Amino acid sequence: MAAAAGEAPRALSQKEQDIQMMLAADVHLGTKNCDFQMERYAYKRRSDGIYIINLGKTWEKLQLAARVIVAIENPQDIIVQSARPYGQRAVLKFAQHTGANAIAGRHTPGTFTNQMQTSFSEPRLLILTDPRTDHQPIKESALGNIPTIAFCDTDSPMRYVDIGIPANNKGRNSIGCLYWLLARMVLQMRGTILPGHKWDVMVDLFFYRDPEEAKEQEDEAAGAPEYAAITDYGAAAGQWGGDQWTSDAPAPPPVTGGEWPMAEVASL
Amino acid sequence: PPARPLICTTPSRAALFHPSPPPAPQPPSPRSPPSELPAHNPPPPPNHGGPRRRAWWRPRRRARRVRPRLRARRARGPWRAPRRSSWPPPGGGEVGARHQARPPRQGGPRFTKMEELYLHSLPIKEHQIVEQLCPGLKDEVMKITPVQKQTRAGQRTRFKAFVVVGDSNGHVGLGVKCAKEVATAIRGAIILAKLSIVPVRRGYWGNKIGLPHTVPCKVTGKCGSVTVRMVPAPRGSGIVAARVPKKVLQFAGIDDVFTSSRGSTKTLGNFVKATFDCLMKTYGFLTPDFWRETTFTKAPYQEFTDILAKPTKALMLDAPAEKIEA
Repeated sequence: MAAAAGEAPRALSQKEQDIQMMLAADVHLGTKNCDFQMERYAYKRRSDGIYIINLGKTWEKLQLAARVIVAIENPQDIIVQSARPYGQRAVLKFAQHTGANAIAGRHTPGTFTNQMQTSFSEPRLLILTDPRTDHQPIKESALGNIPTIAFCDTDSPMRYVDIGIPANNKGRNSIGCLYWLLARMVLQMRGTILPGHKWDVMVDLFFYRDPEEAKEQEDEAAGAPEYAAITDYGAAAGQWGGDQWTSDAPAPPPVTGGEWPMAEVASL
Repeated sequence: PPARPLICTTPSRAALFHPSPPPAPQPPSPRSPPSELPAHNPPPPPNHGGPRRRAWWRPRRRARRVRPRLRARRARGPWRAPRRSSWPPPGGGEVGARHQARPPRQGGPRFTKMEELYLHSLPIKEHQIVEQLCPGLKDEVMKITPVQKQTRAGQRTRFKAFVVVGDSNGHVGLGVKCAKEVATAIRGAIILAKLSIVPVRRGYWGNKIGLPHTVPCKVTGKCGSVTVRMVPAPRGSGIVAARVPKKVLQFAGIDDVFTSSRGSTKTLGNFVKATFDCLMKTYGFLTPDFWRETTFTKAPYQEFTDILAKPTKALMLDAPAEKIEA
């Protein structure tokens, strides 16, 4: 259990660690307006007008939502949706780890109501990033008896939302953090992860990347295996004898993308 | 003697017609003199040669000026009921949860009554489901109004059909459809009426003897400016209502009721929708019978989630459902 930079003398519980992460991701910052149904989750209004969300209640609503998700026997009957770009990667990763279906981008009207469409589906549960931008799936789920879970900001309309998780759904880190937490809770409740242990999937995997940023990261990843291969092989060779690895360095270990130019050079 | 009876206004006319025998078998016109006519002969079909010829013995009268649209309408002939298709197939074909008439799956959901759909609020998407679950459905066209839209090339007329559907035993449906042809509008309205079938709650006026016969309590429905109020009536009162809501209430299976309406009941669309809304509310009213806690049963999607998770076999339908790319 990691202590918080020496300020708290005792180790933090997992709930407290989660709340610390949410604070770092600005989950607690609402907007300047507050919907009357979200007033119970707002702690206070700051001097610059922004409402602060009570993160303890956020954590408990997350637990409630996770329990509902776990209660669905077939995880493929759950649809996670985000029209906003900030939530699309998070939604895809969440679906990947929990076995749900993800819809990123535009929600074609009639997906839940028009039985003649090819993309017609009848989910048993709907998880949304923002009731305001994802208002179309909310309207359709009302017609199709589909319960809805949504991350609601302080100014989000709560109509037809059955479980509203008070959170900041505007910031990219915030959305990623929330989906990561929800996925981890679901997997813990299912028993896939043991509670109390760290989940080996990083939060950064759920954050939205700009296209340029994504490209940079991929380039870095392409450059990295060259070094990684040598060091890996070096580590393996180190078992036999440290002096041997320098001579054997050019021969590459199998399958890394960045290796191919080296392999071609070696074969020539 | 002349083969057919003649009523001659002038003797000269009789002389004209005496010698020639009338062509055999001539169906008698409906307005011909009644005495020797066999009663079982049907009235003649509409004359396809042109406008109906005036019977010679009818006195000529100044022709009434008929509007061109009305003349065209009369020339087309009276409306005939459309021919029904062969769907649904007799027997066979169980009904799936709501949106597809699925062939029966092992242990899959089977519904025998409409009430099972209402219990879980399952939306009904195909009218064949209703036809199978609700036998004895009758339909009635309440009105066909022509409605027009102005285009730069004149008016574009379409026909709006109001159809009420019901089994006189607690289920009614109302469908409104507008289409370019009358028959299409009626067909579409019947389908929509079946899709919108609702249960109607009946109760007693006084002592609970026999079957429920009237509305359980005073209910009112509103559409546009028309409000229709239904009040429980003692047995034997009959349906005390105007012609339009009376029809709807007969289809619902309500035997006795007092009604009162307000607003522009001339607009049949709103009047009929107001009574339909009123009937929908009969099951929305909380009476002391419903005070007991509901014991919930599992929703069919949850109960049969394992079966629904498996992929379906290829369905054998008469007309394969066309899919829209989306």
